[in-house]
Amino acid sequence: MIIRPKDAAKLFGISIMCFCAVLISTMFLNSNIDMARIKDQITDPDALLLHDMVVSSGKMTSAVTGGALALTTVVILLFYVKHYIDTHKSELGILKALGYSNWKIARSFWVFGLSVFTGAALGFGGAFALMPAFYRQMRSDELLPDTPLRFNPILVMYLVVLPALAFSALAVLYSHRKLKRPALELIRGTSNVRVKKAKLNGKQKPDAPFLRELKQSTVRSRFSLVFFIWFASFCYAASVVMSFSMPEVSSDMMAVLMAGIGIVLAVTTLFIAVTTVIKGNAKTIAMLRVFGYSDRECARAILSGYRPITYVGFALGSIYQHGLMLMALSMFIGNDALELPDYSFHWQACIISFISFVVMYEIFMRVYAAKIKRIPLKEVMMEE
Amino acid sequence: MIEIKNTSKTYGTGENATAALKDVSLTVSDGVFIVLLGASGSGKSTLLHIASGLERPDSGSVNVDGTDIAALPDKELTAFRKEKVGFIFQQYFLLPNLNVDKNVKMGADLAGNGGYREIIEAVGLGDKLHKFPSQLSGGEQQRVSIARALAKNPKVLFLDEPTGALDEETGRQVLDYIGNLQKARGFSMVMVTHNANIAEIADTVVKMNSGKIVEMAGNEQRKTAYEIGW
Ligand SMILES: Nc1ncnc2c1ncn2[C@@H]1O[C@H](COP(=O)(O)OP(=O)(O)O)[C@@H](O)[C@H]1O
Ligand SMILES: [Mg+2]
Repeated sequence: MIIRPKDAAKLFGISIMCFCAVLISTMFLNSNIDMARIKDQITDPDALLLHDMVVSSGKMTSAVTGGALALTTVVILLFYVKHYIDTHKSELGILKALGYSNWKIARSFWVFGLSVFTGAALGFGGAFALMPAFYRQMRSDELLPDTPLRFNPILVMYLVVLPALAFSALAVLYSHRKLKRPALELIRGTSNVRVKKAKLNGKQKPDAPFLRELKQSTVRSRFSLVFFIWFASFCYAASVVMSFSMPEVSSDMMAVLMAGIGIVLAVTTLFIAVTTVIKGNAKTIAMLRVFGYSDRECARAILSGYRPITYVGFALGSIYQHGLMLMALSMFIGNDALELPDYSFHWQACIISFISFVVMYEIFMRVYAAKIKRIPLKEVMMEE
Repeated sequence: MIEIKNTSKTYGTGENATAALKDVSLTVSDGVFIVLLGASGSGKSTLLHIASGLERPDSGSVNVDGTDIAALPDKELTAFRKEKVGFIFQQYFLLPNLNVDKNVKMGADLAGNGGYREIIEAVGLGDKLHKFPSQLSGGEQQRVSIARALAKNPKVLFLDEPTGALDEETGRQVLDYIGNLQKARGFSMVMVTHNANIAEIADTVVKMNSGKIVEMAGNEQRKTAYEIGW
């Protein structure tokens, strides 16, 4: 086996994503299935209406969170496969030179799907731990009859087994695509720096300071990292801001769950992004320090280019959650029987979330700036 | 002037300990060109790193214009490198995402040197300003790294096997550029090599063996890279 499960263990970011996605989806879908079973017992038209609302809002919630997280998982998985191939170029090239076919090598990438399986299985289990409380709170207004909690095996299929298989297949297919390069090119590690010429130079002022140039080129050099950092702030804003409205429209439990998931996802993606930025730029940082740039200048040049992206992500995340809230509430409108919760854009929540995000982000950056300081010059220079 | 006095350096501890430098002393006067010659593993790079403030010796002192840089805290050591020294390495270590112009600017900005494009011209890369390192040959990349080091107006230039990754002819060309620039600008230079044939282009040849200086000899008349029988 070329790729060991140990390598897949490094993909804990994917496991965390899947954990969150499956946790949410399982709770809502399982309750939907269970509620479908009790529909016959409901006679009161108001209760029937409420029943349908709960079911459709559950569908929406799991579609939105599950969908968004699945998409992000795809991006992260592809990123990891590419990263693995980039960092193991020469070994993979030698395998190819020895006569291993692309398929034979690519097949071993199925292991990456294990991270999906682990996360999804844990998320599924976690959902069952939370569901008794979730069910109790759902019928707290006494309008709906008691819904017995049941285990629905079909969900294991859809939320754990199929995703794991699909992601394994994706890893294999994508790695096969990436391996379609001559063995020698892989062994020599011919650098694949994307070369962007005159077009970009035309846009810049001719004599921007070097550190600014470096900052911009660092951000531009890898789109996936920009996406991760954008996603971290987007996710944080959407879920934390929304969680402030939850006690009003749903429950305290949803509020905690939502904020918790948002923070976990934001921290995970930030972690993936920032460690990759620093590892990928270790040589550059070492050279800067050899030449006499201070630790602060290095940290700023490498890390601070991403800050504006987080602001954009945060703004969009707040707007997105507002849109979601309006959409969810619009499903209730026109139904006089139900008391509509008041909702308007929660400025206070937005400001509190923003401040807490900035604090978290800056602490993160400080921690990693300190890591930059500890990159050993000599080791970096002696590599190769 | 750099005065290295009784410096020692050991890597690792216990059974894995390697004494890379054993009580080495060396003086680098202003404007000279010194070559450190010796087999692989003899401690040349370590001596270069200690002389240039990249590493601290375990014992001994490194006096530069009256300051013992071996005793400076990290921050001041960085500032020392910024002001005084330039580096050229065998593996070039250019920044891959930046073009030739910006790579040289990395050195130039440290010295507030606005006229750095002259140096790019001087190493013969005036027409490659907007090329990226991956688009250049080895010799061209090494010339970029020379321009980068010189753009910061160093008092001392340190070179660690600068021609190690180049073919003979290209190596000669690169050495010729360096030699001429040093004569024209008058900085001092310490170059590490394991190629004895190159030694004649220097003023002083220092031979090292297993962490010690075993021989030191002056050349009456420095030769150019094209005169030596390499
Ligand atoms: N960072 C390090 N860790 C452990 N050993 C080292 C390190 N750097 C150098 N050495 C050892 O010190 C000795 C001298 O190394 P070096 O100065 O690089 O020699 P040279 O440049 O002459 O080839 C070698 O035996 C080398 O293995
Ligand atoms: Mg060496």
